[in-house]
Amino acid sequence: MTEPGIEYVLRRPVVEGPIEVRFPLRPGDRAFVAAGDVLVPGSRIADRLRDTRLVEVRSGPVGAEARPGDRWTQPSHATGVQLRRGRGESSGELLFELGGHWRMAAGEHPEQIDTPIAGVVHQVRPGIGIGVRAEGRILRGVEAIGEPTRGLLAINPEPGEGSKSGARLRPGSLDVGLAGAILVVGSRVDAETLTRARAMGLRGIIVAGLAGKDRRDFLASEARQRASLHRLPTFAVFVLDGAVRRKIASPVAAVLAALAGREVALVLDPPALVFNEPEIDLPPPPRDLVRVRAGERIGREGRWAGLTGLRRFADGTFLEAGWVAFEGWPPVPVPLADLERFG
Amino acid sequence: MPAGIDVDALVRLLLSRTGEGDSQLARTLGIDRAGAASDLPRLVAQSARPQRLAAIAASDRAVAPLEAAARRSGWRVIGASPQTADPLAMTTMLLDPTVEAVLLGAGEPPGPDERRALDDVASLVAAVAARRPELSVILAGSMAEELSRFEATEGDRQGEVMLAPAATSGDPPGAALRELLDDLRAPRDDARRAIARAAAGLADAIDRRVEIVDIGLDGGLRATAAPSVAGSPGRVTASFIADAGLVPPDPDDAAVDRVLAWSTVPIDRHRLRDRLRELRFAPWSDAAGEGARLRLAAARAALAVLMEATPDQTAEPAPDLIVATGGAWAVAPGPAIALAIADVVRRPAAVSVAYDHARLLAPLGSIPDASERRQLIADIADDLLAPLASVVIPGGIRPGRSAGHVTVRVAAGSSQLELIPGGLELVDLPPGERGTAELQFRDTVRLGGRGRRFAVEVAGGLGGLLLDLRDVPLRLPDRPERRRELLEAWQDSLWVTRDR
Repeated sequence: MTEPGIEYVLRRPVVEGPIEVRFPLRPGDRAFVAAGDVLVPGSRIADRLRDTRLVEVRSGPVGAEARPGDRWTQPSHATGVQLRRGRGESSGELLFELGGHWRMAAGEHPEQIDTPIAGVVHQVRPGIGIGVRAEGRILRGVEAIGEPTRGLLAINPEPGEGSKSGARLRPGSLDVGLAGAILVVGSRVDAETLTRARAMGLRGIIVAGLAGKDRRDFLASEARQRASLHRLPTFAVFVLDGAVRRKIASPVAAVLAALAGREVALVLDPPALVFNEPEIDLPPPPRDLVRVRAGERIGREGRWAGLTGLRRFADGTFLEAGWVAFEGWPPVPVPLADLERFG
Repeated sequence: MPAGIDVDALVRLLLSRTGEGDSQLARTLGIDRAGAASDLPRLVAQSARPQRLAAIAASDRAVAPLEAAARRSGWRVIGASPQTADPLAMTTMLLDPTVEAVLLGAGEPPGPDERRALDDVASLVAAVAARRPELSVILAGSMAEELSRFEATEGDRQGEVMLAPAATSGDPPGAALRELLDDLRAPRDDARRAIARAAAGLADAIDRRVEIVDIGLDGGLRATAAPSVAGSPGRVTASFIADAGLVPPDPDDAAVDRVLAWSTVPIDRHRLRDRLRELRFAPWSDAAGEGARLRLAAARAALAVLMEATPDQTAEPAPDLIVATGGAWAVAPGPAIALAIADVVRRPAAVSVAYDHARLLAPLGSIPDASERRQLIADIADDLLAPLASVVIPGGIRPGRSAGHVTVRVAAGSSQLELIPGGLELVDLPPGERGTAELQFRDTVRLGGRGRRFAVEVAGGLGGLLLDLRDVPLRLPDRPERRRELLEAWQDSLWVTRDR
């Protein structure tokens, strides 16, 4: 029997139903799917141009029916005279017409975009994005950076600091044996470890908190990597909770543990881990389980023990609070706004 | 409580506490019976979610007033012209699904720097509008002549295509465009728009000039209102600035530095950025101890952005009453809010500071009928706001040992204080108490007008009477440690419940 008042604690869903995932496209990128197409993981859905530039094309050869967003390819029998500027690209995405000429986004060095999820294409909008209704269930996070990816889920093999879900991964813990894996690392990870993880062939990292400095360093490193000529395997960092260090919530850790050794996908928009394992039964977390989301006891979990009403906290701040019994301790008041429950 | 909690559950809790606190009142109101919560009439005011707008013109000079008008009406704005962005970059920017409206403008008539590229930008935006039927398009100034390009794509459009006045038309310049953009940004019952209406009702109800500063997660509102005089309607000016939110969606170095400048917590920039990002993820959390002090530093930084973005409102006569509202102040001790206002809103004047403690201004402002709204505000004016302090800020005080003295007279007696330049003097004046402060300066100062002797009416509040002889505007030391010490010393005098 749960003490009353738990409805005033914000509920965080652990596992949710199917969602629509968006893969962004920029002008010039080329989609290879259409609405209604059924996708399996690894399907090529688009080509992304690395060095898009603007090309002018006379309106005559393009035709009167052409619309912005259409793809246009120079007919094979035509000479290159239609192209007034640019370096001779013969196909691209029409942007707008002005003064008897179309402006077209075109370029060389396309990079293949594969879907890491199974699903049905819901919408294809050139230059904007591809929407896919994903199959399976999802675990939501607060942020995912990098590129959508897929791999075998692995749990950090090194206990490190703290308990297993509160560990901090060191760069030396990673080796090529983890290539192709999406690794759950625990409470926090630094930019050096992320860079090494990518170099060792990992496909992703799942972490509770990613500090702003490490996030910025990783994004800069990614930008440099993408500027190189050869295409790199996909890699993503999936952040479950926020920017400061805390343990992964036990209901979330339980889901990740159940998925260990199975294929999962990380997508960026929305930031989520997607898995399609209908046979895995994920029992709901205890109804009275609460976790401290912020404040001095951040990351700690306990049992809900009822409302306290308005309480005085540090620096004379009065906040609505609830009693929480942390393991081995009598109940203490915690601001309701700092708590979360699961379900 | 977090915004995501079920409203019905909150109403039930409120009613049960009302019953526990005053059972007779609960019985009189009929809220002591089961199911009363669902029978009560409700006024709902909700902040519209923030939206992005792209301001496009043929030259940088023409983009600037478009951006300014959009910023003042609550949009998150990005701007571009062919002078600084190529057509590919502009198309990419407009195809971004997070951009929900495009403001395409030109002068009336177009300037010489615009004429060459007018066709280019009109064609580019029309092509994007054809690809994104959900995009709202506003054609301002002489760009209205390009309407036919957009009408061709009207068939399956969900977004509107609107004609607007030029960015510099109206009194003050840009006001007409701002009004239209405000209408487009949010529905009429948007909490910020409702607060602006409530400001007018409050000014009339108490017959005083009122300024409301609302700092929320996604923006800040500054509404200034003057009461009706001799049958002529009152005047309200409202600016909603998306950049004046408590924490920007992705705090950059400038945002972190702004907060750091007000922080009394010794913290480096990286850790502060992390704390701000956490605050963005869960804005209701971490509201005690160090978290409370960081939240107030962020609120001051946001308030400073709001003041900087609204210089025309600063140029208006000083208000008699400043009201703080919004989530940024929600859990701060009252006197600490008064000090935060005095730190940032610095005009040589004597003002009362109050707090919208029950967050009622927005629901009251959402009452559609203006006279009914005014009547209700007048009926509950005494309970609507919590008085925080009377603040007296003289300007132009010269450094020295003493600037003069003040005599505070109340019903119970009088007290005299020396006025020390650069200091912050606190006189205990409880809520409900009224009196007069007679200030005698050695040199001429500004306090409303210029002079050496002033007598101002003061009213009590949770923080009492605050005689603020610090610089106008406030100057803080460059060295972080010294700045922190100074801010801490000032806060200590008003945040009396702080743990030390």
